Amino acid sequence: MNPAWWIARKESGEILVNGRGLAWLFALTVIMSVLSLLLVSNTELSLLDNAQVVYMVMGTITALGALFAVVLGADAVAGERERGSLMPLLLTSVTPSEIVSGKMGGQAAGWTVMYLLGLPYLWAVGSSGQNLLQAIAYLALFGTLTVLGFGFFALGLSARFKSVRTALLTSLITWMLLASPLLLGPSLRQSTVGKGFDAANPFSASLNAFDSVVIDSQPFAMQTGRLAVALAWLVLTAWYAVRSVRKMEL
Amino acid sequence: MIVEIRDLRLVLGGRPVLNGVDLTMRAGDIYGFLGPNGAGKSTTISVLAGLRPPASGKVEVLGRDPVAERTWIHRRIGVLSEQSGFYEWMAAAEYLKWFSGLSGKRIEEAEATLRLRRVGLDGRNRAPIGTYSRGMKQRLGLARALLNDPELLILDEPTNGLDPRGRREIHDVLLEMSVNDGVGILLCTHLLDDVDRLCTHLGILSRGKTVMEGPVDDLLAGQRAAARYRLRVPIPESAVNLPAGVRVASRSGEWWHVELSGAGDPATAWRELLDSGLRVEEIHQEGGGLEELYLAATETREAV
Repeated sequence: MNPAWWIARKESGEILVNGRGLAWLFALTVIMSVLSLLLVSNTELSLLDNAQVVYMVMGTITALGALFAVVLGADAVAGERERGSLMPLLLTSVTPSEIVSGKMGGQAAGWTVMYLLGLPYLWAVGSSGQNLLQAIAYLALFGTLTVLGFGFFALGLSARFKSVRTALLTSLITWMLLASPLLLGPSLRQSTVGKGFDAANPFSASLNAFDSVVIDSQPFAMQTGRLAVALAWLVLTAWYAVRSVRKMEL
Repeated sequence: MIVEIRDLRLVLGGRPVLNGVDLTMRAGDIYGFLGPNGAGKSTTISVLAGLRPPASGKVEVLGRDPVAERTWIHRRIGVLSEQSGFYEWMAAAEYLKWFSGLSGKRIEEAEATLRLRRVGLDGRNRAPIGTYSRGMKQRLGLARALLNDPELLILDEPTNGLDPRGRREIHDVLLEMSVNDGVGILLCTHLLDDVDRLCTHLGILSRGKTVMEGPVDDLLAGQRAAARYRLRVPIPESAVNLPAGVRVASRSGEWWHVELSGAGDPATAWRELLDSGLRVEEIHQEGGGLEELYLAATETREAV
């Protein structure tokens, strides 16, 4: 069996068995529960329509998934280096490419768990609407590209920086900058700066696609530009992660 | 040769770290690699393992270039590095099984248990590694280094954190591997007792340069001229004629502090002493041992 598979298996185990990974997942489900409860109440009071609520939950799952990926990614190499477990790994016959592939596999496993945990919340707020299936599918597609991109970016930083703290801080700042569309609101995003930001930002690409499909019921053909941005983000960050791990120093 | 290093030089961050390291090992040798903190021992190990390319010099491990053929070499060597962390949520047997999978030779539970038993870690195979003491982690690190049945074993402070019984057990494992299996062992340590018990060869590094290298017996033989001995002799010195080359430097009660002049063999001197009718109840060496050898080698270099 490929060593990358073994590393990915260990990474997944760390999320599901290690106390720290479970604590993160627990915290994320608490946040989602509170948010969903508030949104369902708002829907019942007719303050928000169903499609808007589904859109908000999709955005939140993506943002929290990216946050989780950033935390995992920042720890992936720098954390192993700090805990002394990187050296034994480098002293095996495993190549840097296999290490980075395994770590990426761990990121994918983390996002899969996060996505699966998010589905009941999506169902809870969207089961009475019309675009629930599209929401689930688009969250899988755009969410995966965006979230894994953040994980790979943090993984690359983790290989370049020698401390988890530096890698985590840099990744979090990037996450906050790019996730700001969630906070800025639609009017600000219509300004010139906002439009430029939207065009290149993977978070915006995902949110705009969610908006377009769930609220405006637009077809997939309308999402190709946004898909290209999200895909470019994933490819660029994956390249950065592979390059960083190959060039990493002891 | 399983390891050959000639005039190894390495520069890190613009600073020369290794300035002429020489090291030669054959199969079955146990090579003590000594030196003060920061002398460059761990850095030399990282070069041997192909993790750092040298600036110049010849480096061959098992006859190959460790940087160009890193993967090939890693399949045939075992390394217990100074920084030897574990995934603390895993159990020891599970960890060994997982680690063996990385090399493509996955072992099963029974094999993992056997390997843990070999390093004295049986009975707690299923406990999380996080609950292990430092000594237990050292043993697990050794079990990990032995997973691929290496031809060359590189150990950085392997007996750190072990109690005297644990150290003796690890010594026995290493001796068995060296004698029975012909495994070459590069032992990087500060514990001269480990070197004394195990090593056939010795290399001393100071400020990134090899200042002494060779078979332990040869190096110690050169030191014997400077050796002093403490003898317990319950009669006055004036009552005997001392053999030539034996001089009593001082006395304290029944204890004589004796110097051997010239390069004479101490065993011959003691035999002549006993033949002269002297009752010698105990003989202890003072100086001329590994410690003096090490201090002399490193002091000379530090003073330069």
